[in-house]
Amino acid sequence: MSEEILNIKNLTVDFGGVRAVNNVSIALQPGEFVGLIGPNGAGKTTILNLITNAIKPTSGEINFKGQSILGKSPDRICQLGISRTFQNIRLFPQMTAYENVELGFHSEPHYSLAEAFIRTPHARKIEIDTRKKAMELLEIVNLKEHSHARASSLPYGLQRRLEMARAMATSPELLLLDEPAAGMNDDECNDLVQLIRQIHTSMKYTIIMIEHHMNVVMDLCRDSRIYVLNLGSLLAVGSPTEIQNNPDVIRAYLGERKQHD
Amino acid sequence: MGYINTIIILGGINIIAALGVAILTGYTGLFTIGHAGFMALGGYMSAIMAKEFNVPFPIAILIGGTFAGLCSFIIGYPAFRSQLRGDYFAIATLGFSESIRLLLNNTKTIGSIKLGGAFGYMAIPNHTTVLVVVIAVILSLFFMHMFVTSQYGKNCIAVSQDEVAAQMMGVNLLKTKMIALFISAFYAGVAGGLMAFYFAYLSPSFFTITKSSDLLAAVVFGGIQSLIGPVITAFILVLFPELLRSFAEWRLIIYGFLFVIVMIFRPQGLLGYVEMNFEFARVWWNKMFRRKQSGTQEG
Repeated sequence: MSEEILNIKNLTVDFGGVRAVNNVSIALQPGEFVGLIGPNGAGKTTILNLITNAIKPTSGEINFKGQSILGKSPDRICQLGISRTFQNIRLFPQMTAYENVELGFHSEPHYSLAEAFIRTPHARKIEIDTRKKAMELLEIVNLKEHSHARASSLPYGLQRRLEMARAMATSPELLLLDEPAAGMNDDECNDLVQLIRQIHTSMKYTIIMIEHHMNVVMDLCRDSRIYVLNLGSLLAVGSPTEIQNNPDVIRAYLGERKQHD
Repeated sequence: MGYINTIIILGGINIIAALGVAILTGYTGLFTIGHAGFMALGGYMSAIMAKEFNVPFPIAILIGGTFAGLCSFIIGYPAFRSQLRGDYFAIATLGFSESIRLLLNNTKTIGSIKLGGAFGYMAIPNHTTVLVVVIAVILSLFFMHMFVTSQYGKNCIAVSQDEVAAQMMGVNLLKTKMIALFISAFYAGVAGGLMAFYFAYLSPSFFTITKSSDLLAAVVFGGIQSLIGPVITAFILVLFPELLRSFAEWRLIIYGFLFVIVMIFRPQGLLGYVEMNFEFARVWWNKMFRRKQSGTQEG
């Protein structure tokens, strides 16, 4: 099973006396699109935080491309190819949309410190390249006309898209989306589903998505799997139809069967 | 004329030191009230180099700056490793700066070099002229502008705006902060060197917390993420006490009052987020040039 891009084994984390994540194992093949759902406080975001090492696990293993990433710093993990968005948007508020995306490209600067002071033709060429690539990404998420707007001045939905573009700029192989559709209405959700699907197919990313909008999850994961978490433990794994018909899941999360159509 | 020269020289030195604080506080978001310590390190080092080892003075100043930059790692590495932030980092820099001052106060000699302790280090060669300071300010401003617009500089800005997001996007926090601190201390060291070669005399009493807070005031008044703001205010903060000599005792009270006013009405500083750019000059130039061009086409 060496071709797995991400392999989480028996991951557990305790916050004081609370076991936030309990013995969770997740394995992902390259190119898969996997949903992660569960009621509030189930530990979904905690799992993303564990993968990016914002939180240290109590026990368990996390392997990325066959290599353990436990204990590596978040920036190192990002350089290895895991990028994420945040549940509460965390853009750089005073930077423009373009600068936000550009940062993803040069968080590890591509020229030496000396060249930062004396901008050599080499450094200038790199900067022009970066600019072009950042603009291409902004075009993919339909933000090109807002490229010079301050991130904090953008409307909420566009900030979500911008955050996604910034995550893509780090050229990840594994993209972690934390509630990309939070606070969006149905129309906006449909647009977002299209955008995410387009990103997934054109960029060949592996994606883990946390989402509360069931339509969005069921739609995007229709050829793939959904992991259901409840109180820190894995409750069920399966295709959208299996999940929708799983009595445990319905009891824990989706409510009574007759209310669901 | 001599009086005006003095103001220009001291103003220029203050500008260079304030630029150092600007990169750290304004761009990277790390408050410092200890830059007088780096000025002292740079000043004493370049003075020793020039006086005892006959190093030519521009090189002595660069050595002083580099020495201050290297010494900044003594505080930077442990502070950033343990993720000291905000007030805690500011207090650490204050402690560092005060311990440097007290060390100098109590060091009468190093080997055969007579530092003089609290009496001050005497008979330093006099090299700093208006021309030297003006050239130094222009070079400092140019290199700092280059740095803050570079990929390294933008990483610093990202760290100041959201440290967690920056790290998650792959910015190495330790490295970025250390680079900012090194450059910052280097600038302070160069300013200290220029000061030594102007007064021809250095005393630990130059480098008290008042000096550090003056520099921080220049950046807070001038504006965060701006170079031109701190440059203007750093000069004004030298000019202002000179113009209002009779109010000298009131200076700190007025500063405190202005601080509060600025914090309430313009927390980002007077020119906060205003990048130094010459866009207006380019637009103006294009306008002139285009008019000429269209004129020739018509003719």
